[in-house]
Amino acid sequence: MPGREPGGWVGRPLPLREGARLVAGRGRFLDDLGVARLLHVAMVRSPHAHARLVSIDATAAAALPGVAAVLTGAEAAATSRPIRPLIPTAAPIDDHCLAVDRVRFAGEPVAAVAAVDRATAEDAVEAIRVAYEPLPAALDAEAAARGEGPLLYPALGTNVVWHDTLSYGDVDTAFAGADGVLEERFEIQRYASTPLETFGCIAEYDAGTDSYAFTTNDQRPGLTLAILAESLGVPQARLRLVCPDIGGGFGNKRRPAYLLICALLARRAGRPVKFLEDRRENLSALMHAANGVMRVALAYRADGALLGLSVRDVTDEGKNLVSPAQHNLIKLGNIANGYRIPAIRYEAWSVLTNKCPSGANRGIGKPFMCFAIERAMARLAHRLAVDPAELRLRNYVRADEMPYATPTGSRYDSGDYPATLRAALERFDYARWRREQARARAEGRLLGIGIATSVEPAGTNLASYEIITGRRAASGSAEAAMVRVEPDGQVRAALGDPPSGQGYETVVAQIVADELAVHPGQVSVARGFDSATTPWLYLSGNYSNKFSVTDTGAVVGAARRVRDKLLRLAAFRLEIDPADLELDDGAVRVRGAPGRRLTFRELARTAYADVLGLPPGEEPGLEARHAHQNPLARPMDATRRVPSQLVFANAAHCCLVEVDPATGGVRLVKYVVVHDCGRELNPLIVEGMVHGSTAHGIGAALLEEFRYDESGQLLTSTFMDYLKPTALDVPDIEVGRLEHPSPFTPLGAKGVGEGGAIPGPAAVANAVEDALAPYGAVVRALPITPETVWRWLRGR
Amino acid sequence: MDAPVRLTVNGEAVERLVDVRRLLADFLREELGLTGTHVGCEHGVCGACTVLVDGWSARACLLLAVQCEGAAVTTIEGLTPAEGLSPLQEAFRTAHGLQCGFCTPGMIVVAHELLQHTTAPTVDKIREALAANLCMCTGYVNIVRAVARAAGARREGGAA
Repeated sequence: MPGREPGGWVGRPLPLREGARLVAGRGRFLDDLGVARLLHVAMVRSPHAHARLVSIDATAAAALPGVAAVLTGAEAAATSRPIRPLIPTAAPIDDHCLAVDRVRFAGEPVAAVAAVDRATAEDAVEAIRVAYEPLPAALDAEAAARGEGPLLYPALGTNVVWHDTLSYGDVDTAFAGADGVLEERFEIQRYASTPLETFGCIAEYDAGTDSYAFTTNDQRPGLTLAILAESLGVPQARLRLVCPDIGGGFGNKRRPAYLLICALLARRAGRPVKFLEDRRENLSALMHAANGVMRVALAYRADGALLGLSVRDVTDEGKNLVSPAQHNLIKLGNIANGYRIPAIRYEAWSVLTNKCPSGANRGIGKPFMCFAIERAMARLAHRLAVDPAELRLRNYVRADEMPYATPTGSRYDSGDYPATLRAALERFDYARWRREQARARAEGRLLGIGIATSVEPAGTNLASYEIITGRRAASGSAEAAMVRVEPDGQVRAALGDPPSGQGYETVVAQIVADELAVHPGQVSVARGFDSATTPWLYLSGNYSNKFSVTDTGAVVGAARRVRDKLLRLAAFRLEIDPADLELDDGAVRVRGAPGRRLTFRELARTAYADVLGLPPGEEPGLEARHAHQNPLARPMDATRRVPSQLVFANAAHCCLVEVDPATGGVRLVKYVVVHDCGRELNPLIVEGMVHGSTAHGIGAALLEEFRYDESGQLLTSTFMDYLKPTALDVPDIEVGRLEHPSPFTPLGAKGVGEGGAIPGPAAVANAVEDALAPYGAVVRALPITPETVWRWLRGR
Repeated sequence: MDAPVRLTVNGEAVERLVDVRRLLADFLREELGLTGTHVGCEHGVCGACTVLVDGWSARACLLLAVQCEGAAVTTIEGLTPAEGLSPLQEAFRTAHGLQCGFCTPGMIVVAHELLQHTTAPTVDKIREALAANLCMCTGYVNIVRAVARAAGARREGGAA
């Protein structure tokens, strides 16, 4: 990879420049924005998990003062096209933005109202009469995988969207020749990262040009624009999408159907409309990480070496017709974790049920995959009476094997996994805490140590969908950016990836500052996203850890184009070879002759105003766009190997818990993370992401669960029963780091955003099980509630 | 149904006719344009909407505007100097005590209240106070550090 310019801003822990407005409450989030004559939207939502929609009577609602427009599912279906799926079902299903004929989860929208304020809209919602004929609900994904239970879509003839078995290497021989096979069944619950700002949009319609404008905290504008254009039946050029400040995303913030509903209401009312979920709508109907059941069989040699892995994975997608099986694909790409496992079999079911749609959530699929493998490793260490750290060290992919091709088609690009774990053990003071644990146990105190390690990929390769669909549609991982030296010599940059807390205004300025040899304070970075001005691709968006592997390349590429042009202009003016020039402090100067220099301002004057002074054939202006695609993305090969994700970071978590024998409560006493995300572009931002993602892992391990009752009603639809970790639940997470740069990203960076959300649940579960070893407890499901622990302690 | 309400917001007298079902949070945001008070759950758990009412923290999503008759309400805008940032805000910024920034105003209001009443809060005390609010981004570690840093600076500066 080319070296970087002097300056060294990349790698410095600069505080967020966004911070100045955000700490003062001067962010501009969706709900802070107003438009003249704005209407507010509320939705009628199904109270049933599964029911036939018999009739909807909205006459009384439409007649209420202040109500401007009402939209039912039948009307939506008549005036828009279905939402296009990313991963289509075997038989095509029309999935409209509002339910038509049938509702398939409690909370599914069946009608929407636009009124002068949200309260009036909610009054109107109450005045809409909907007659339902309840149907039995499909809630058990394993039963559905066996072909039992009611069907969501009779036209499909099954609730199983995808079932397949993929084999890599000689699995049967591996199992036949093993000294032993460990078999376990693990479950994961539904949970979500629940960004504190809920999802929504403002939609405006201009009848004169038949065009729409959306202001939204949608995380993936490139894809959303394509879907909206198709559903509205207008060219993409007549859509504009703007993202303001976004209050957290974590994969959750996407629902093109809501934007479509608002577009139809805006068109009908002839006025702009705004919809913003309330918290119950967010928790019950936006998206959940899929729950599921995984059966793991691990073939091993007597010395603990892993020989083969067989996984049978049932994923409960809820009513997800947009991206079913996405969890499965991501799991497949990470199935071996950081271990050398030569033979792997993966049998997957992706199953529809009458629950909230599954969707992307910090780490999608990987937390469960890591939980299953790291729990299996803990059980195997127990069975072989080997220290769990030692068992891992015997099985890691070694540093000298990098880049390492995994059996399923991923490429582990760099890193030293044994060194990461050793650093974590040392920082944790593992030997000492093992001694303390024994001492505490003798006193009747229950201390437990949990270890879990993970790989963390970045960037999604959409070509992996071909495993399911048998054909390639989208593929690869890419992003676009723009860098411009303004007529006054100052610098401006924009990126097709709308941030939701990752500090891009700060870190993009650091990158551009190094490339153009200016102070970051001279680089302005566009806030958010605007499809009319920001460079973007279908693949653009804030997802899949992709900043490090695609966005950095786009920014670096655009900046280097501008730099090259600055050098050409200066060479022409100074009548010197460009190779004899260098950039320094906002100017181009002759090497070895610091007095001979032209400032960016002087060069910009030529580029924008005095254009007759340009070299012959040179285009006026000092602006460049660049799109970068990550080189590790490849199509699927003939043996169905394909990288579902790309560049791999890694981490080791080591935590200490104390279980209260009286209450069953679990307290995290100490938590150490050592991670390696390649070159850290801004260590302050990186460390913050490690803290936050680890807290998500802790929440999933101990607190959070979307729990449904036997009729499909969500029992945890507020923050009073869906429990998030507070400052009293999350310990002072200690972070250490290694830095093995990726050879496959322009700055050597790797993903870090999903981070601790992947191994965190396994680390905490391993610690609780370790604490309860005298009671023979085995953690096979999450969350580990005080009730569960209390029952283990009392043998009930 | 509308009713009159008179109160002080960030030191300024306010007199309005409001719908009696109007929440204080919506009143501040929509009628007074004070959008720094964020609404994250509307059922009193997340704390993003925390403001000071007569000097004590309160959930603006659990109060009706008409309940604040005669009260002195302080929002994040009222805790922000005309120029620059308060030392507490500056500590949040430099300690990276925020990511998306949505919870931040509520966190700062709660931390401000703590530091008003406690000169040298222990880390446990800080965590206890902040546990009133939810943050989905930071894992709280740097928020705790920011408040501890601000408390330390305040003691050194003799402001306490």
